[in-house]
Amino acid sequence: MDNPRFSLEEFKALFPDRFESQEKVLSEYHSFLMLLEQLDRVPVPELPAGTKAEIFRRSWQARPQGWSHAWSWLGLLRRPAVTFAMGIILGCSLMFAVARGRPVVPQAATPQQALAVERTGYTQIYTGKIVERLYPQIENPKIVVERPEKSSAPQRVLYGTLDDGETSVVWNL
Amino acid sequence: MDEHDWITDKALIEAAQQGDRDAAACLYHRHIDRVHRICHRIVLDPSQTLDCVQEVWLKVFRSLGRFRGRSSFAAWLNSIAANTAIDHYRRAKRQGNHVDVDDPEVESLAADERTGEQQLDDRLVRQRIQEALEEISVSQRTAFVLRYYEDMSLPEIARILGCREGTVRTHIRRCLLALRARLMAELNQ
Repeated sequence: MDNPRFSLEEFKALFPDRFESQEKVLSEYHSFLMLLEQLDRVPVPELPAGTKAEIFRRSWQARPQGWSHAWSWLGLLRRPAVTFAMGIILGCSLMFAVARGRPVVPQAATPQQALAVERTGYTQIYTGKIVERLYPQIENPKIVVERPEKSSAPQRVLYGTLDDGETSVVWNL
Repeated sequence: MDEHDWITDKALIEAAQQGDRDAAACLYHRHIDRVHRICHRIVLDPSQTLDCVQEVWLKVFRSLGRFRGRSSFAAWLNSIAANTAIDHYRRAKRQGNHVDVDDPEVESLAADERTGEQQLDDRLVRQRIQEALEEISVSQRTAFVLRYYEDMSLPEIARILGCREGTVRTHIRRCLLALRARLMAELNQ
């Protein structure tokens, strides 16, 4: 007797080379089928309709507003080619500023700014609302784009925290 | 049958991304029971399950705008639900909030000899199973739940757990062996 949820083939794949005879295989297989039957005796209680409605109401209300417009162009920013092109443009601007002898003034990130860029040497740090919307689960997210050498590809790393600062996040993008 | 059954998830997601509350509600009601099942079976503590389900849907609606349909919505949702439930379980365990699920009725039924034996048996069996599931690591339990209750494939589970297929197979094998060792002897008595 084969069970569609736990087929004999799957059982054999889970326990390869474990049993010496076909009889033993079948007897073990049947003991696991019995186990699954026992486990089915613990049903998951139904969620009351009122609770379902309340969970939906809270979740929907807490969603970020203005998805449709903001996310369509923010989604564009997440494409590697666009990000790379932006890196080139920003890099060129930086070189232009350096070539003209102007000091590079770091822009402090304020919560009101959509995107703040802080440039130091070969590093650009992006903070602000746009970055926060890109990574809503991360607290104080910042993207650091680093290009140690002219010829090397830029490295992008996301820094931030989780659980009210308990966990640090460092993610290579 | 739901009157919106003929509408695909994709269409509902696109409408919800445009801010259509009804489409979002339809999508939610289509999948809420599965999310609840996954959370319930991984978190194991009924007092924590609702918080976990809420957290899943907060994440879903926060990130729905970025869902591009590279995987199916159900697979994406299962992934959020399983990972949120694992985090929830670990956090509760770390903070000592996880309560052992002793069915209060079991104690009263055990003391009440007038209640039907079969009813008592069922409740005791459920409690034994619950205890056995609690003794298994959360990764093993998650792999098992997703494979046998949600019928997900090994590659899908591997993606969710961030491990290789072989590791998922090991998780499931250990889970089955542990459950059998713990349960069959007792239940056959």
